[in-house]
Amino acid sequence: MSASHSRRQHDWRGVVAPLLFVALWQVAASAGWVNTKLIVSPLAVLQAGWQEITANGFAHALAASLARDLAGFVLGSLAGIAFGVLLGLSRWADRLLGPTFHTLRQISLFAWIPLISIWLGYTDQARVLFIAVAAFYPVVLSTHEGIRSVNKAQFEVAQVYGFSRWQRLVRLVLPAASPQILTGLNLALIYAWLATIGAEFLLPSFDATGVGATVIRGRAAFRVDVIIVGMLVIGLTGYALNRLAQRLEDRLLIWRGPAH
Amino acid sequence: MFSLKTLRGPLARLALALTAFSVTVGAYAETPPTVIRVGVATPKTGNPPAFTVGPVGVAYTRGLIEEEFKKDNVKIDWVFFRGAGPAVNEALTNKQLDFAFQGDLPSLVGKAGGLNTRLIALAGTRQHVYLAVPPDSPIKSVKDLKGKRVGFSIGTNIQTPINRILAANGLTERDIRVVNLSVEGIAPALTSKSIDAVFSWVQILPLKDKGLARIVFSDHENAAYACNSGVLVTDEFARKYPQTTTRLLKALLPANRWLADPANTNAYISLVAQMGFPEKTLHEDQDGEDALLQSSPLLTDYALSLYQGVADDAFRLKLARTRVDVKQWADRSFLTAALQQAQLTGFWPTLDNNGRKLAAK
Amino acid sequence: MSADSSTAVILPAPAAATPRTAPLAGVLVKTGHVLVGAIVPLLLLALWQHAASAHWLPVQLLPSPALVYASFIDLWQSGDLTSNLAISLKRVGWSLLLGGGAGLVLGVLFGFSRRARAYLYPTFEVVAQFPVIGWIPLLIIFVGIGEPLKVLAISLAVIVPVTVQTTKGIAQVPRPLLDVARVYRFSLAQTITRVVLPSALPTLFNGLRQAVMQAWLALVFVELLAAGEGVGYLMVWGRQLLQLDLVVVAMILIGLVGVVLDRLLAVLEHRLQRWRRNAF
Repeated sequence: MSASHSRRQHDWRGVVAPLLFVALWQVAASAGWVNTKLIVSPLAVLQAGWQEITANGFAHALAASLARDLAGFVLGSLAGIAFGVLLGLSRWADRLLGPTFHTLRQISLFAWIPLISIWLGYTDQARVLFIAVAAFYPVVLSTHEGIRSVNKAQFEVAQVYGFSRWQRLVRLVLPAASPQILTGLNLALIYAWLATIGAEFLLPSFDATGVGATVIRGRAAFRVDVIIVGMLVIGLTGYALNRLAQRLEDRLLIWRGPAH
Repeated sequence: MFSLKTLRGPLARLALALTAFSVTVGAYAETPPTVIRVGVATPKTGNPPAFTVGPVGVAYTRGLIEEEFKKDNVKIDWVFFRGAGPAVNEALTNKQLDFAFQGDLPSLVGKAGGLNTRLIALAGTRQHVYLAVPPDSPIKSVKDLKGKRVGFSIGTNIQTPINRILAANGLTERDIRVVNLSVEGIAPALTSKSIDAVFSWVQILPLKDKGLARIVFSDHENAAYACNSGVLVTDEFARKYPQTTTRLLKALLPANRWLADPANTNAYISLVAQMGFPEKTLHEDQDGEDALLQSSPLLTDYALSLYQGVADDAFRLKLARTRVDVKQWADRSFLTAALQQAQLTGFWPTLDNNGRKLAAK
Repeated sequence: MSADSSTAVILPAPAAATPRTAPLAGVLVKTGHVLVGAIVPLLLLALWQHAASAHWLPVQLLPSPALVYASFIDLWQSGDLTSNLAISLKRVGWSLLLGGGAGLVLGVLFGFSRRARAYLYPTFEVVAQFPVIGWIPLLIIFVGIGEPLKVLAISLAVIVPVTVQTTKGIAQVPRPLLDVARVYRFSLAQTITRVVLPSALPTLFNGLRQAVMQAWLALVFVELLAAGEGVGYLMVWGRQLLQLDLVVVAMILIGLVGVVLDRLLAVLEHRLQRWRRNAF
């Protein structure tokens, strides 16, 4: 049996469970076994999804959430790489700032929300800052770790070549640390999306559009179908982002070549 | 502030005329800002989302403030807060608002916490408080709440009445298990029976009509339990743009005036129904209310005494850090000027400390 | 970057160097590190105190350290701090048991049964990548906002890492070891305790560590969203009533618990590694 054949078979078996689930769900809802106010049928969910997309500007809401997500992710990641490089390269910076960083890191992410909301209000700046904080931590940790793993021999080579500090950083340290940095960025993307949704729930405002806001609206109107649509989109977006990041990571690492 | 009682006779009339003259002249001297940022401590509800309740809701729906500032090209930026009064405080903290329409407790908490605001008019009074439970709940009275999970929005103007209602039944907040709910979270929490009871405003009544809730208590018999809300302006804005502040209040007055006429009550109720409340419910909520008294923007001695009562309670219950002196905080001058300009001085009755009408002057 | 730019600085030296020095010197170096590490927090504290006393920011934006300390003591003496913390920890504890148990079962299932893996793992893999908090509105509809919501939501956050790491850990058990177990006719329980656990332990522990972190994360979220008790609720109270000192107290508490959990896990990991070495 060839590898591709077995994989196709694997895929086929993987869909059985969700299909069965949806079928059971549909039957249970349409046969009236369950309270359809609470358990709406999959068809109703599809309808609600269609209505959200066509009538209520759902694509726009998703775009708004993704824009926030991306802004926070880029901000947090850049800051994270910079801080991670600093901690990784300078022992003094590590000793001075490391303990503070590792202690602050223990403050659960969402505990920052009340402080951020009082300081910045219910604004998009507040949401983006919160998302950036979420992306910052994993990137710092992985960058730090990546740089620490650059070995002595590589530094000696750099010295032989007479690299400047900047060259050493750009041509030696960052490429050598890139697998860990990419892992960190991947993790940061996951946390950023989590934070995006969290921020929309905990920092809501009337004007803010977003998938989170759609879910809140569904909850207020007791529209279970809308809630499920929102939840599925949130989940599948998280999944898609993750897959995308994984692909990019694999690509970049291949491009970097097997030399290291 | 000076008291009008000390100024009697022709001298007083002269002084008033001079003030009115200077205000009128001054109105042309001031350039209003390009944007006025107005925060409302009520989320829009209904489909399409609407905000129609009270004089501010009427003014918003009719675009009265926009109309007033049209010729100056002033943009009115309305922000409606899902997080209600507490969220308005956060926005005020961040200097994101010039005006706020906010409940009594949160505005006092904000003032006590260091927000530099002034209370310049009443925006709503006698908003009724209801205690609702699931239909099959064993809770029959407020006393039965002991040890139960009770939901409401912490820090909104409902919290003081709740504490008073509990106290009247020999309870405190510590005797119940308080669950903080957003304004929108109240109904789902009750229908899913994840809490034992909720304190809420009129929003809860539709659930009763659907058979999903039973009202155990309402405050219709006792005015001390009802919630009030006011119009606030930041001190900074009031100093910089006193005439604009007066004009904004003046723009609201036609809405107050319209609400004061009992003939408009049905039309008003249809308007509020756009927020997603059945008209029947609203009639029930408004039953027995005096349209004239309820539409009054006046910061009467009675209104201020209600606010002071909330301020004292808030301080005692540790909801606020300091005790606000409402007389110092309230600033009647803008409303007085606005009423004069709108020729509505004396239209609404003034009330004494006990809520009795003072003889018209 | 500053003057400390020699290559030596870039090298990860300190960790390797410490054990070689004499015990006293080691203690001194360690104390030195702690002192250096304390410089920034102390500076920040001084800056905070100065900013507060000079009124750089209004008090509602920046409560003074003294006020935060007073609130801390006040909450401690009234018992509010400990009772709320106890409730939060109880929620996390139950969720770790429930979610961790479910995760272990799923992980063992996926690890041992090829069929279960083929049929269920693809679904699990997709659903596992849904952000936990996306589930919460739906959970609220079904179970309300009471205690079940908190325990379920936190459990969901726990299941994913435990399942993933358990599956991974079992997959990493060397085949020959399992064959040996089969030859010796080990019972399932024996296979698990004698063969699977010792070699899968580091991975399982990794799962536990992630689970605890995720649980603590999810806890604060649900408590902020809907709660009547717990550390998150303390923050809600402070936020709703514009008392930032309470928010800061709760943040400090959350951070402290985070540090303690982290330390506990480190100690536990150390212990387990010792046990594992002995088990082989």
